[in-house]
Amino acid sequence: MEKEKHLLELCNVSVGFPQKGKKMNPVTRGVSFYVREGEALGIVGESGSGKSVSMLACVGLLGGGGRVLEGNIRFLNGEDYIILNTMTQKELEAVRGDDIAMIFQEPMTSLNPVMTIGRQVEEMLLLHGDCPKEERKKRVLAMLSEVGLPDPQEIYGKYPHQLSGGMRQRAMIAMAMILRPKLLIADEPTTALDVTIQAKILELLKKFQKEYGTTIILISHDLGVIRSVCSRAVVMCGGKVVEQGDVGTLFEQPQMDYTKRLLAAALGKGSVLKKEPAVCRGEAIVCVRDYSVFYEEKLDGKKRKREVVKKVSFDLCAGETVGVVGESGCGKSTLAKALAGLNPLTSGSADISCENPQMVFQDPYGSLNPAKTIGWLMTEPLRLHHVGTKEEQRAAVCEMLEKVGLGREYYGRCPKTLSGGQRQRVAIAMAIMLKRPFLLLDEPVSALDVTVQEQILILLVKLQKEFGLTYLFISHDMNVIHRICDRVFVMYQGEIVESGDVDEVFRNPVHPYTKKLLGARL
Amino acid sequence: MRYYIKKVISLIMVLFLIMLLTFIAFQVIPGDSALSRLGVDAEPEAVEALRESLGLNKSLPERFFSFLSGAVRGDFGNSYQYGKPVGELLSARLSVTVWLAVLSIFMIIAVSVPLGLVCSRKEGGVADRIITMVTQTLMAVPAFFLGIVITLIFGLVLEWFAPGAYIAPGEDFGGFLRYMIFPAVAIAVPKIAMTVKFLKTSVLRELKLDYVRTARSKGNSERAVLWRHVLKNALIPVITFMGMVIADVLAGSIVVEKVFNLPGIGRLLITAISNRDYPVVEAGVVYIGSVVLIVNFIVDLLYQKVDPRVRIK
Repeated sequence: MEKEKHLLELCNVSVGFPQKGKKMNPVTRGVSFYVREGEALGIVGESGSGKSVSMLACVGLLGGGGRVLEGNIRFLNGEDYIILNTMTQKELEAVRGDDIAMIFQEPMTSLNPVMTIGRQVEEMLLLHGDCPKEERKKRVLAMLSEVGLPDPQEIYGKYPHQLSGGMRQRAMIAMAMILRPKLLIADEPTTALDVTIQAKILELLKKFQKEYGTTIILISHDLGVIRSVCSRAVVMCGGKVVEQGDVGTLFEQPQMDYTKRLLAAALGKGSVLKKEPAVCRGEAIVCVRDYSVFYEEKLDGKKRKREVVKKVSFDLCAGETVGVVGESGCGKSTLAKALAGLNPLTSGSADISCENPQMVFQDPYGSLNPAKTIGWLMTEPLRLHHVGTKEEQRAAVCEMLEKVGLGREYYGRCPKTLSGGQRQRVAIAMAIMLKRPFLLLDEPVSALDVTVQEQILILLVKLQKEFGLTYLFISHDMNVIHRICDRVFVMYQGEIVESGDVDEVFRNPVHPYTKKLLGARL
Repeated sequence: MRYYIKKVISLIMVLFLIMLLTFIAFQVIPGDSALSRLGVDAEPEAVEALRESLGLNKSLPERFFSFLSGAVRGDFGNSYQYGKPVGELLSARLSVTVWLAVLSIFMIIAVSVPLGLVCSRKEGGVADRIITMVTQTLMAVPAFFLGIVITLIFGLVLEWFAPGAYIAPGEDFGGFLRYMIFPAVAIAVPKIAMTVKFLKTSVLRELKLDYVRTARSKGNSERAVLWRHVLKNALIPVITFMGMVIADVLAGSIVVEKVFNLPGIGRLLITAISNRDYPVVEAGVVYIGSVVLIVNFIVDLLYQKVDPRVRIK
């Protein structure tokens, strides 16, 4: 039997980056896997597992002085293999784009903001081969319509910021696929997109694989995404390959602990964390009636108010966790900000039994002032509201640090020395410092890896019990909502289109949009 | 279109405000222009007659109106010191200052863009370290000292030009330009140093962004990445900075004009101020104010051109 052909092979590859001084610090060790011609391979792992680094190493785009320390990366070119990691810059430039194309996670920042979409796609044709001018434009337009962009003529002359996230990613794909590369590396291509758009982008990738026999390597932290596209997968953790095999086998009978944990989180099989459902007794702690939130927009120099949240009404009981789910732009974050008093343009009424409800935000990197210590940040709410003396404040912060599982030694540390999960613990601790019974959580776990997500969710449940907190939990992730919430509101275009008990809504969704959201769960 | 009309209207309004403030400032300054011109010992009748002829007897609004209508036509009255119309004085000096500005701005752009790119192409490399060291030093050198050094080296040692022997553009335009190169260098060098540093920081910031990785993944060479993708993005903040530099250069440099014996705006103003030649000073303030405004206006338009994200539909 003829030996099956592998388009790309990584043999024992270690990648390192220079540390202070000149020593190379390896971030991946002995990574070996292959991809067959025409197949779709998934690489799964959490941030820092080395999945992106391994693929960037293949095309020599490591940056930051990183390089392949040992091992070989072989790529099938015609009948022979070429060794990618020993090629010169010039040779690699010929391979990039032409043989191996890439698409990235964030299509806004991955496209040049001052170049039109048309020119960015056309650049591929200019860089590889010589195609006459009229022909180039024709091919670009054909490609734009092939990736499902409406009105290619118009898109051709537009800039990235004028397109939506999904359209930008389609433009990225058009750029990557116009030369029909042998290998397409997609690095978290749908992570920044809404679930309903995510599914369409993945469909598009599958279509290209089928029609042109393009080999695809799909990097994702989300096993659900991998399962819907790939036939085989590699699981990476801590710079090493922990498990690989057919997606079916891998998903049915995971061998390694790490894979099992990933699977549990990704497929919504995670246990429901909240054991005792909250029982509504007596008065509602939050009472919202016909509540609208506006944004001021400037159009043609005229200020105009745009209604982002449209007349929503709901009650929250003490000790309850209520999820708000919906796509970006549906108004869920705007609602939370307004309830926290961060947007004064509202109408209707929102009676909250406590002053200054506190908020926890999505991005634990951006929301902590990097110039201050953890202790300073956490005492700030106490200082602002004149609670206790300096010593008392310090003692309260140390106690809270222990409650969120960090320990008092974190008092004098700076945010940048903390991991994402640790930072989110600080953000949560900061929000409950004032002991307000109502907490607004705006995508608190979306920026975190699944295993860290798990820990934060457990922490939230524990704190809720201990302090008798009520949560309004905003998320785009149906699985997370299912695991932690008692009730859920589904928001669509500023309105609550469906609400009810979580289990009930998940079992029998009524509104078509809720069905769509649940259907897109892969 | 509406956006541009609005911009022009606000430009005109700010210019009007500048004139109003200038006018008021010179009314508030103590001392009578007529008296200061004729001296304290002058006959009261003579002072009165001069006040009459200068129009100082009229009411404030009337005088402001005549000042304004004169300023719009470029007529600021006669200089007390030279007895000539201020417009004439200023425009003769202006050609020197403008040519000096044009030459130095050309030098700044032509030298700092390539240097900035070379620096950022290999951060920490030999070229980068040398250029950074040199620019750092040049930034700290005061303009008059640079002028003296240039005079010494190119004027006295190499004898490429005769120090102090300014040639008017009317006499020999080629000679004028040849002479102007040296003061232009004196003005340009510190600004080049600043621009290189600014551009380098900007390019390095851009190089870390995702779209650069995309550009590389398409098979662009490093040179193409820099020129085709990074440069335009990196220039966006530099445009603001260049606008400030250009306005500064157009306002005239007293020190450089003195060192090279140039009849420029800066020197005219400094003598006018010490001689209380108010019409000239007034005109000078209005000129500098207008230059800053107009340059800023052009910077705004350039922004629209370069960065589609701030473009108004």
